[in-house]
Amino acid sequence: MIDKAIPVPIGRVVATELKPATPHQFHFWTPTDTTIGIGAIVKVGGSGTGEEGRVVYGVVTEGFAYSDLATPLHDVVGAEGDPTRAVEAPTARQQIRYWTAAVLRQTPEEPLQPVPLGQVYVADDADVAQALRMDSYLYSATPTAIPVGLYTSAGRDAPVYLDADFLLGPEAAHLNISGMSGLATKTSAVEFLLASIFAHFPAHKGRVAAVCFNVKGPDLCFLDQPADLSDEDRRRYERLGVPSTPFERVQLYAPLKADGVNLNTLRTHPDLVDDVEPLTWGLQEVVDYAEVLLNRDDIDAKADAFIDFLRDRVLGRTFDDGFGTTHRVQTFADLDRLFRSIFDGLEVISGGRSDTWRTHHIATMRKVRNRLLNISTRCKGLVTDDGPSSDLPWQDFKDRTVYVIDIANVDPLGQDLVFARVVSKLREQLERRELGVDAVVVFVDELNKYAPGDGPDTYVKKMLLDISERGRYLGLVLFGAEQFRSQVHRRVVGNAGTQVFGRMDMDELATPGYQVLTPATKNKLATLPIGELMVRHPHFTQPIFIRFPKPPVLRGRDGVERFPPAADVPFEDAVVRQLVRLDRRVRPNQVKDLIADREPDDVRRALAAVRRIRPDDVLAYFRKVLGARVTPEGALPREHHTVPPLNPISDEPY
Amino acid sequence: MVEDSELQVHPIPEPQIPNPVSFLNGMQRWSVVAYDGVAQIVSAYVAAAVCRRDKRGVLHATFERSRAFAIAPLDRLSPTLRPVLEQAVPDIEPVDGELVGQPARYLEQVESTVRRARAHLERELAEAATAALGADEWLVLDGLLSRSPAVARHPRALGVIKSHGAQFLDGRGLERALTLPAGHRTSVFAVRGGHTRTEVYSWYLRLWPWEGNNLQYGLLRVEARADRETIARAPALSSWLFAERAPLATPATRWDRLLYPLHHVEEYLKARAPRSPAARSRLPVA
Repeated sequence: MIDKAIPVPIGRVVATELKPATPHQFHFWTPTDTTIGIGAIVKVGGSGTGEEGRVVYGVVTEGFAYSDLATPLHDVVGAEGDPTRAVEAPTARQQIRYWTAAVLRQTPEEPLQPVPLGQVYVADDADVAQALRMDSYLYSATPTAIPVGLYTSAGRDAPVYLDADFLLGPEAAHLNISGMSGLATKTSAVEFLLASIFAHFPAHKGRVAAVCFNVKGPDLCFLDQPADLSDEDRRRYERLGVPSTPFERVQLYAPLKADGVNLNTLRTHPDLVDDVEPLTWGLQEVVDYAEVLLNRDDIDAKADAFIDFLRDRVLGRTFDDGFGTTHRVQTFADLDRLFRSIFDGLEVISGGRSDTWRTHHIATMRKVRNRLLNISTRCKGLVTDDGPSSDLPWQDFKDRTVYVIDIANVDPLGQDLVFARVVSKLREQLERRELGVDAVVVFVDELNKYAPGDGPDTYVKKMLLDISERGRYLGLVLFGAEQFRSQVHRRVVGNAGTQVFGRMDMDELATPGYQVLTPATKNKLATLPIGELMVRHPHFTQPIFIRFPKPPVLRGRDGVERFPPAADVPFEDAVVRQLVRLDRRVRPNQVKDLIADREPDDVRRALAAVRRIRPDDVLAYFRKVLGARVTPEGALPREHHTVPPLNPISDEPY
Repeated sequence: MVEDSELQVHPIPEPQIPNPVSFLNGMQRWSVVAYDGVAQIVSAYVAAAVCRRDKRGVLHATFERSRAFAIAPLDRLSPTLRPVLEQAVPDIEPVDGELVGQPARYLEQVESTVRRARAHLERELAEAATAALGADEWLVLDGLLSRSPAVARHPRALGVIKSHGAQFLDGRGLERALTLPAGHRTSVFAVRGGHTRTEVYSWYLRLWPWEGNNLQYGLLRVEARADRETIARAPALSSWLFAERAPLATPATRWDRLLYPLHHVEEYLKARAPRSPAARSRLPVA
């Protein structure tokens, strides 16, 4: 806590002709045993300098120590060349601790003048608030302060707040955090900050939720489980006014595995798996983002036109293919049937004389067909061949809820698809004000991968750019994390109003983006301990070092140890588990009898329908959707025509 | 000669550094700031301080005195200027006006006056410092110990003399003293007469090899009270002062003979001295 006693000066401003005090920088000395260091916030009083009433706040950016030694050779001579004798000298040389500080704020702010050559004090709580200009949003009638951590120096600590208007919009928005993998505590910092946002997001700004993409192992799979916090961590939570409890409302979504029933996540421990919602999409959900599935070389005007044609004229409509068959395409299976019908028509009915259909060349159609149908193979479990989807509650997002989408084990193409669709849907719903909340924080790790500074303009990158530049008006806020900030697209990084830095690699610090930092600050960044960060925020005129407590949630690897993932269960058991989860009255034997000898696809389809409808009587509805058992003798073979080979019309490999 | 029958050269033992130790030094500064005809009016500043060395080897000022004054031939000043000067500067050291017509000799007189004022200040401070010394505390002065009888008789006060204008030895003894090897001392001898008011014991100590330099290079003369105990302590005191070679008192020009703590006191005084003597601004412009 800040000591309220009369402040004792810890240093004094000095200025020489070579190193004068300016309105933005000053120098001061302290005793050699001072407690301040790089990043410390200090206050200079004008008292006694003829400038009574003036107060200048600064942050220490550089430190020097030197003695009255004229040349190192004199030390060698004095010790007669023996370093062990150097310490035997009875008198310690006169030495100085000399600090450079960058001005954070001057009061009064006008006229802006050089820093008075006054005494230097350690900043207390109120000084920190003044120095960082937090008073405007901390003490206003409608405060918008979000605690981000504790500024600690000289044995004192003071809470540091971000302005919600500049963190979550509309004035500025977005947060970017960068640092070395494993040491920078990027994920932990975001977890703590989300907890802080949920605790302090001002009521007048409405409701807020977060969507987190889990792209690495079990990182974000246990946000609803408590962490083991130390007493010091709990003290910090108390100091910051943030509850040291895990998130009360967490909804985790994970795609299914290829078997269509087991969840593709590391949160499969029997005690927790019931809280995981399957994430499965069908054709309707995928086709709008077909561009994601096609690499840049594939996208040409012809393919694009054909996809538009499918989207506008075919999907969800009753459609005549021109060869006498009427289609209603709602699933990948329906689409496959349409393509087969078209190819059959061109080959058989037209006798192979025509290679176009509705102005679309057959090669273009084959290319699009391959790409679209391929996604259901590569992302089996996420994308279903047929059947309904299981999706996020796009019109019913809950206040202070974290929606975690676990795509850690999904094919990279599928990750892009999930990312593109979720963010696009969030944007659509926010534009319509139909999401259920007023602001959504989207946490995306590995921006080096999704929004690299070089490389092709992917759909995901364009979308991230769009959020960065326009999201703040909508309440769509990007919290991005990456290892190398210099290699993330400049506009994504540059549009982040708040920049956070964990421990950085020296090579990264040598890049031009860090030229504004002093060597001492860079050195501190390169050796930052876990739990300490450097923050830049629009209200702060200089970067500030802060500490934040360990997140109140179970870390991913601890979660996996405490809740080891369960092995995949057989198909029947997985179906039973999902139905029992929806309705405890469901008896496993009844389900197993019901699905015995049934086609797994039919069972999956019925299961998906039950998940979507969530009927009161789950078993009855499941039975109804599954339909009556048909004897094998009477069963018709499933429609599966082989497409006759086409005459080669080009070298097109599709 | 109070140790040995004739001056001998003695190696010094391993050092035993006493703690705490205080060091006294002074500084002087003067400049001509005004003229009344050819009469030069001088602004002078003298100061002295004592710094005590703590267990960590850090020096802290414990005593400090200073005097800012003017030097002027009052009897040769014009009737209009003299009252102005006397009103502007409360502390005036009058000098004989006979030398006003010989500026060089006049300035020598001024220099002598300032030096005397500094010596007086140092003597006062030394007496105050010795009176306040702790039970095991030593005081090392820059210069003669014998200026003050009280200080000269103190059992734990040492004077360290860097300049050797006065010679107390002759013949073979002088040769042995001036060619003393580094890390050696001479026998203890008694110093009396001349400007020394109080008898003290003294000996030479070589801090740095003189070969390749001049005979006085690294040569100190140490003064201590005239007592048999001093003879017994001379080896230990010599080894202590020899250990004070480090750190070097650079960039002082006489670093070979100047102990670093005394250099520190001097730098301390210079740092605290007014950049321009206080009297200057109140005097008529030169």
